Amino acid sequence: MAQTPNPVFGFAKKNCYGCHNKANPSGDVDLTSMKLESDFDEHREVWERVVSKIKSGEMPPSSLPRPALADRDAVTKYLEAEFARQDRTAKPDPGKVTARRLNKAEYTNTLRDLLGVDIQPAESFPNDEAAYGFDNIADALSLSPVLLEKYLYAAERAVRTAVFGPEKLKPAGVHYPSAVRIPVLPKDLLNYDKTGLSTHHAAHVMHRFPVDGEYSFRLVLNGHRPQGSDPVNPALFIDGKLVKSWIEEGEDLEGRIVEARTMVKAGEHLVSASYLNLYEGLPPKYGGPKPSDPKEVPTLSSPKGKLTEKDIELLRKYGTKLKTDRAEVRVDNRYESIDVGGPFTQTMGPNVASAQRIFACGLQTDACAGTIVRTFVRRAYRRPVTAAEVDPYVKLYALARKSGDSFKEGVATALQGVLVSPHFLFRVEQDRPSIAGKNYAPVSDYELASRLSYFLWSSMPDETLLRLAGQKALRQPLALKAQVTRMLRDEKARSLVENFAGQWLQYKNVDVIKPDVEKFPDFDESLRYSMKRETALFLENLIRQDGSVLDVLDAKHSYLNERLGRFYGVPGVVGHEFRRVDMSGSKRGGGILAQASVLTTSSYSTRTSPVLRGKWILENLLHAPPPPPPPAVPGLDEAKGDGSLSLRQQMEEHRKNPACASCHSRMDPLGFGLENFDAIGKWRDLDGKVAIDPTGTLPGNRKFAGPIELKGLLAQDREAYVKGLTEKLLTYALGRGLERADKPAVNAIAAKVPAGQYRFSALIEEIVKSLPFQMRRAGDAS
Amino acid sequence: MNFVTGKSVSRRTLLRGAGVVIGLPFLDAMQPALAAPRATKQARRLAVVYVPNGMTMKDWTPAGEGLEFNRILKPLEKYREDITLVSGLSNLVSDKAKGGAHAKASGSFLSGAIPKYTAGADVHAGTTFDQLAAQQFAAETRVSSLQLGCEDSRMIGNCDTGSSCAYTNTLSWKNPDTPMAVEVNPRSVFERLFGTMDPSLDDATRARRALYKNSILDLTRESTQAMVKGLGSLDKRKLDEYLTAIREVETGIAKAENDPQLPTGEKPSGIPFSYAAYVKLMFDLQAIAFQADLTRVSTMMLGREGSVRTYPEIGVPDPHHPLTHHRGHPDFIEKVAKINCFHVELFSHFVAKLKNTQDGDGSLLDHSLVLYGGALSEGNGHSVHDLPLLLAGHAGGLRGGRRVMAPLQSPATNLFLSMLDRIGVEKESFGDSTGRIDLNA
Repeated sequence: MAQTPNPVFGFAKKNCYGCHNKANPSGDVDLTSMKLESDFDEHREVWERVVSKIKSGEMPPSSLPRPALADRDAVTKYLEAEFARQDRTAKPDPGKVTARRLNKAEYTNTLRDLLGVDIQPAESFPNDEAAYGFDNIADALSLSPVLLEKYLYAAERAVRTAVFGPEKLKPAGVHYPSAVRIPVLPKDLLNYDKTGLSTHHAAHVMHRFPVDGEYSFRLVLNGHRPQGSDPVNPALFIDGKLVKSWIEEGEDLEGRIVEARTMVKAGEHLVSASYLNLYEGLPPKYGGPKPSDPKEVPTLSSPKGKLTEKDIELLRKYGTKLKTDRAEVRVDNRYESIDVGGPFTQTMGPNVASAQRIFACGLQTDACAGTIVRTFVRRAYRRPVTAAEVDPYVKLYALARKSGDSFKEGVATALQGVLVSPHFLFRVEQDRPSIAGKNYAPVSDYELASRLSYFLWSSMPDETLLRLAGQKALRQPLALKAQVTRMLRDEKARSLVENFAGQWLQYKNVDVIKPDVEKFPDFDESLRYSMKRETALFLENLIRQDGSVLDVLDAKHSYLNERLGRFYGVPGVVGHEFRRVDMSGSKRGGGILAQASVLTTSSYSTRTSPVLRGKWILENLLHAPPPPPPPAVPGLDEAKGDGSLSLRQQMEEHRKNPACASCHSRMDPLGFGLENFDAIGKWRDLDGKVAIDPTGTLPGNRKFAGPIELKGLLAQDREAYVKGLTEKLLTYALGRGLERADKPAVNAIAAKVPAGQYRFSALIEEIVKSLPFQMRRAGDAS
Repeated sequence: MNFVTGKSVSRRTLLRGAGVVIGLPFLDAMQPALAAPRATKQARRLAVVYVPNGMTMKDWTPAGEGLEFNRILKPLEKYREDITLVSGLSNLVSDKAKGGAHAKASGSFLSGAIPKYTAGADVHAGTTFDQLAAQQFAAETRVSSLQLGCEDSRMIGNCDTGSSCAYTNTLSWKNPDTPMAVEVNPRSVFERLFGTMDPSLDDATRARRALYKNSILDLTRESTQAMVKGLGSLDKRKLDEYLTAIREVETGIAKAENDPQLPTGEKPSGIPFSYAAYVKLMFDLQAIAFQADLTRVSTMMLGREGSVRTYPEIGVPDPHHPLTHHRGHPDFIEKVAKINCFHVELFSHFVAKLKNTQDGDGSLLDHSLVLYGGALSEGNGHSVHDLPLLLAGHAGGLRGGRRVMAPLQSPATNLFLSMLDRIGVEKESFGDSTGRIDLNA
């Protein structure tokens, strides 16, 4: 059985049993009860942890005598060989996925592709339950009565929009209050974004326009300009393009309204309210460009007391544009709110795309209705259907006709029924008899087509995939590869970025973070939007333009707009649009660990947390999640730090305790290496009054100074990273948590990635070819 | 009906006849609906309607000691018998608090608790008295309370000199740490009350759609049962969940079938452009919510405290708040008075609605207490004394048609305590109260 004598138990007795025994099972591990060779298999997860802890140097703890390197190596090599043997000889088992309900994103995309409508049907659905870090896990997704009600309503709205055209919307307003905070005037009033879009004085909102049409925009101003300024220029932009600008005079802008109307296409667009040439027209003493003429400035005779006749006349002329109680000096012109109203004109009737998709037959006869329904059911069920399956829906059409409804109403009723069928809402894979000599069988070609499309598009298979499935040609390696390439190039692969990468790296949490207003006055909605977009674009380009997966760790580029360029201190980025920027000259470097989105979501609202950041790296990049902290650990006493100790120095305290150090010696250095980034991702050299010390040591005595060197070292751990990414992507692709039997598949997939230059497509192709993706365990084993 | 209530139908007032019209714009008078006699004790309703930035008090306060309808109150004169004008109350805690004057006033108004001075997430004030009522009635209504607003619903950020928007943009606090955000979109209010039903359908169409829906559920159930037969045990469990959901939805529909009359008209699609139409629509939604006993407690702000709304429709194109710092300028004062009067005119629409809605053996107004007014009196000096407040309604035996003079410097919470008495909520004391006000004096 064993190739060499087993050194494990002798080593364990000398170095481990003292703390890991029955009476005192430290870390919940009792090695004295695992003294048999068979325990390496039966308690594999425990022994795997033993290997990783010995390799990283965490165990035995540094306070105890250190075993010789040769002894440690002998043990880890023996165990790893044993694990490999187990995997080699294990019966291949592709596992089984339970019936999988479409989640919110999948439902929305599927209706979009099935009906050609984009009405956000799942907006009001309850959130999908998540497991293993993803919201598309079959076992976790449930179907409550509340959700069923919503499915019924969504089906009605979607089908009626497709058949009859969009809901006739009366013009009405949507109100967006603006949370804008103006910091102190910058020192340099000459170099700034003249459109104002990247400044704090602008307000931005993403608004979904339901249909093509004419919409109105009402901007309510607020804030002030100093006494004696030239008029300001409020401006409206849509998607970064100027729509209209105005001229408004006076010191007090509170409550002023400017309005515009323009045609907008359906969909989500960025509506921005800004001030053009922000620092022009100020009184000369402010030192800005193009100062205002010193002139007869309207002022009240005094800030208190009774108004004189002259004052009354002045106020008659200028109204509330003059401050009644002081000479204004502030430059905090901003916005109170943006109101979007409309649509005022609306294209009525179903759009051509929807009509083509649904009305597979041109006449308004019963026979045609049958054809329409049959075609729809086949597409909705994602496979060929029998007459018995189609019949009940044709009966619905007949019922509607009998009740006096029109042909279109009849068809709409039938289609609504299809959209709550379990065959539509669930992806169910049939149990089949196993292949000779194995305990599994291939999933059908149609089931494979659905697996592919929901993996890469979060949506239903298109006609090409279904045709290949029908011809039984989908499984052939060349065909499969060609499909993966095609699918990644398609727009719909955006879903892979949003849903997989969004959950893997959790950068979408940027939407809900609330950095402390006092400590981080620089943070506003414009920054929030920009940091999210940076990461989204970065990942989108990686995944859809087939970049190297290692770029996530340590790329030399990023995607910035002017707001981020200023925030990061990267010169030369002018304008509100995003563009690719070379980061190799910057202290920050590139990659996900230099991006404000991740740096902010892994911080607290008032300060950074090296522990959170270290944990984030371990969990998401290094495939080595730390165990949860022991109970009753007191938090860091923020009040105690009087500014003379840096955060790092304060935390050295709790690493003095060896029980804590075992995990924190791994986590903390990673976080300390990023301490140059504050809690909203801005570069800093000081923490309070103390200089940042960005040095650290990774296990294996690898030293680094600063984030760029840290990332370089992490990129050396690429094997662990690729394996971790493989596990996550495979979990997402399958829709179930991984089990022990999946290890050989994971190892095989990860091993092939370097040969494909670490390209994302290489990883995807290997997953799609793998056993768990193509096969399903036979029989009714749970 | 597209929601599953789980509540016994007999507690809902049945609306018969032509149903209730709630459409846009609100120019037609509401058709009175006949209500079935209530099986249980008469429900009492509580509403608070708030106006910001104070008033020109010389146009509010009667010249003499009795009930007189000065300029601002003129629109309510025809409801004299239903009005109890309360003079002399103060918001005493406001003077003790730190922060922006507007935020302090509205942030403490309905609770009598000192709001914490902060623009951050650590806001802290007190449970407001409307929420005490909401908690008591919650078991009997589908929606425990409504918080409506006509301007700015955000709860974070600096809205008044370093004081959080949570203090200026809402009146109701569930507990000292939980301000309740207002809903400003009438469509959302409608959907919260009535679910997703489309009120513009005629009865025949509605009946057909209900028939189709039942057929769809039927065939879905059969289809699922057939599918389940061929599944392994794990999959079976998942699909069984679906069967359970279908059954529950079908049961819910059957229950709701006893209550077929729902509002007809058009569902609001968003915020109307005309302020008057907007406010009236929000009032109508509250009236319907009371009438159908969907809730018994509501608060509504006609503008956030510190509001900068302009009123071009009444000849006031300037923003409200700066106008109130008039320093004696006669034009500014005149404009503020116009705004105050306009608000009361809109409020009188609410009073009329409640008065014309039958409720058991009387009208909704007979069984309600509606507080109208604000937490500031003279806006120019941010005064919090002799607040402009009145009650409409007769719940709990309130006689109406009189003016009550509270001893000077009485806290407004004395009034709120008296109001709680009359709607059946027992409380010893509340906030900074020092006693009660006799409203029938």
